[in-house]
Amino acid sequence: MSALAQTLMPEAQACADDYEATRKVGLQRLMQHGFPDQKTEAWKYTPLRVLEQRETQTEPRTMGEPAALPAWPVAGTLLHFDHGILQCDPGELAEGLTLMPADPKALEQRDFDALYGGREGAFSWLNLARFDHAWHLQVSGEHTVIMATTTTDAFSADVHPRIRIEVLPGARLTLLQDQTDAGQGLVNMNCEIDVAEGAQVEHVLCCKNHESVWVQRTDVDIHKAAEYRVVAFDRGGRLTRHDLTMRLREGTAHGEIDGLVVMDGHQHVDWHTEIVHCTGHTNSREAFRMLAGGTSVGVFNGRIHIFPDADDSHSDLNTANLLLSDQARVNIKPELEIYSEEVTASHGATIGQLDDRSLFYMRSRGLSEAESLALLKYGFAAEPLMQIQTPAIRDWALEQLKEAL
Amino acid sequence: MSETVEKIESRLQQRYTAGFTTDIESDMIRPGLDEEIVAMISAKKNEPEWLLEWRLKAYRHWLTMKAPNWAHLDVPAVDFQAIHYYASPKQKNRPKSLDEVDPKLLETFDKLGVPLHERARLAGVAVDAVFDSVSVGTTFQKELEEAGVIFCPMSEAVQKHPDLVRQYLGTVVPHTDNFFAALNSAVFSDGSFVYVPKDTVCPMELSTYFRINARDTGQFERTLIVAEPGSKVSYLEGCTAPMRDENQLHAAVVELVALEQAQIKYSTVQNWYPGDENGKGGIYNFVTKRGDCRGDDSRISWTQVETGSAITWKYPSCIMRGDRSAGEFYSVALTHNHQQADTGTKMIHLGKDSTSKIISKGISAGKSNNSYRGLVRVAKKADNVRNYTQCDSLLIGKTCGAHTFPYIESANAGAKIEHEATTSRIGEDQLFYCRSRGLDEEEAVALIVDGFCKEVFKELPMEFAVEAKALLEISLEGSVG
Repeated sequence: MSALAQTLMPEAQACADDYEATRKVGLQRLMQHGFPDQKTEAWKYTPLRVLEQRETQTEPRTMGEPAALPAWPVAGTLLHFDHGILQCDPGELAEGLTLMPADPKALEQRDFDALYGGREGAFSWLNLARFDHAWHLQVSGEHTVIMATTTTDAFSADVHPRIRIEVLPGARLTLLQDQTDAGQGLVNMNCEIDVAEGAQVEHVLCCKNHESVWVQRTDVDIHKAAEYRVVAFDRGGRLTRHDLTMRLREGTAHGEIDGLVVMDGHQHVDWHTEIVHCTGHTNSREAFRMLAGGTSVGVFNGRIHIFPDADDSHSDLNTANLLLSDQARVNIKPELEIYSEEVTASHGATIGQLDDRSLFYMRSRGLSEAESLALLKYGFAAEPLMQIQTPAIRDWALEQLKEAL
Repeated sequence: MSETVEKIESRLQQRYTAGFTTDIESDMIRPGLDEEIVAMISAKKNEPEWLLEWRLKAYRHWLTMKAPNWAHLDVPAVDFQAIHYYASPKQKNRPKSLDEVDPKLLETFDKLGVPLHERARLAGVAVDAVFDSVSVGTTFQKELEEAGVIFCPMSEAVQKHPDLVRQYLGTVVPHTDNFFAALNSAVFSDGSFVYVPKDTVCPMELSTYFRINARDTGQFERTLIVAEPGSKVSYLEGCTAPMRDENQLHAAVVELVALEQAQIKYSTVQNWYPGDENGKGGIYNFVTKRGDCRGDDSRISWTQVETGSAITWKYPSCIMRGDRSAGEFYSVALTHNHQQADTGTKMIHLGKDSTSKIISKGISAGKSNNSYRGLVRVAKKADNVRNYTQCDSLLIGKTCGAHTFPYIESANAGAKIEHEATTSRIGEDQLFYCRSRGLDEEEAVALIVDGFCKEVFKELPMEFAVEAKALLEISLEGSVG
């Protein structure tokens, strides 16, 4: 067993509760597949050395006062996970929002093998084996939910929050997910979003990580005539890995991903996105941008997968990346896997640096070099954030971008 | 209606015109692979001790390796002990001229349209013909010698130019490179050796034609092309095999070395037997091809038209080591019936101001799967690199797959990399337009596919471009309707 498995293996701590059978499956698969190494295709650019060198505590958690929360640009229902533990009272949510523990039987019946696969899904198996609580949030009507995930300076544990958000038919959800960390632990989060017929979800995911290792998986299922749009704004971290899978399950489903990663220093950010057209008459679009400065490493793997008979599916993926320093690296892999004839699928990818001519133009108009650079970077980076539909959140994200640049 | 279907079916059955067998007695060594077999192959070729040691080292390394499984391919297990690693048509000695070559062999190549004999002069292309494990004849050797160009079978080069072979063999694709390269290094037999001296423009196109004939054999040729500073050479290869129900293995290695300001253009029209319409038989084409732009301002260009093979695993690559060096890759890969292809290129930029261009066109029909897999890597010290990649896939039919897996790794802020990929089918409007001009559906598809591949075809030498176009049309027969 690897050092990492020894640190994170939960056998001794397996809780005997209603989820015991599910946890057992997670544990079994983890034992069977092991943790990924650089020969694992999906992890080839993301070594886990940082995590291996740390000794995270499994029990007891370092708990104290929850981390302070910032002001939000919109009013909404707050779900606050501090150190992986939900801080709010499920009974006090607004009408139309129901928060409850996930049904153990439903979890047992899920085909997680098809979802998580083998070694590449090790952290998802770990989450399944180690979650404290599996939450289930049901949304009907129109709501704004702010889901904040925080840790404090004393954080040195590994935590595995898990939540399923079910957006019921015709409902509208604005989900602002804001994540930040302190301390040096592992946050291994699993989030499932089910967008039922005719429902609409606007998801804004803002991450600003520091020294913790942050692994997050988001699985989104989009049903008939439903829409899901996510804008991810990632300001990097010591080691962060996001897996975002969007499945267009039924005809006329629509999904969009816009992403922006701004990295500096020793940060390592790895984004793996997958758009799966399970059926025909579905549309998707993805645009992803990365700015890498310092000695940072950015990884982007964007995959479009169109099933057989998913005719009349249309998908487009575009990724543009800027290297801002001689020491930074960017590794990208836009993939197409197409098994249906009557589709259009395309991707485009570029890696480059800021345009000298544009810089010269701005300097000739009297701007300093720093101002010109900032303006050019902002121009490049703002575009994905402009896709945020809610004006207040968009302005807030753009302010954060200015701060980051 | 049923008559039309029958016609298409019967044409489909006949579409592989190179599938005949030549009834010729073969000298084969026993099947299986061990150190004794490696030594036997080396002895057959009368090789020096150093080359035998080199082969044995490769064989021992191969034993420690596993066949790659990362490609988007379903490869049935290959029994490496059931293959004859050496087979040659029975003849006393290598013929000194084409007049001494067994007429049956000449007839075979004549049937395949390879200009070995009197037609050779008209075609103006120097040809090396490789039949199973040996070269049976090389044309225009004298004329090339006058220009200082060496073009001969590898086994002859080992005897006549051992220093040159020893200096360059395995320097671009070492025996440790991958499973199939290690296997090839242990058991390779013939292939071509080309040496173009300094400031020499090779006076004619060089060409090698590979033919697998014997049953239960594989072909493991090794080609080495060295272009000295300021030289220029264009090389073409073609390949076919008989139609058989069993799968046969082709694991070749091609190494190209381009020194300062040298240019190598390497073109392939690959037409190995692809198997029947049910996926039975066909060649497993597991090939390692790599060019090293070793000198400043050097250039290597790969052009390939891949229509054959049951399974293709092939990534012709360029290492741009020299400053201002350039690599190019133009590819058309067509799969039909149950064929599988995972092919593409690697462009490794190590030199400053180096450039690369990739144009890849994949066409999938029937129940086939066609993948483009490419790597563009820019090293930290490679300033001011430029790469452009265009990668298009065309789907014909509802049961095939087209996939794209490009890896782009940049460690230099000055690099400018652009990649574009599209997947689409032949548009109804395009078909309608062609049909309204009097073309039938198959002709219309052939015309559209020809247009789709034009960017690659224009890179091929003229004779090959014509052959490639015809091959594509034949391969697509029966894919519509």
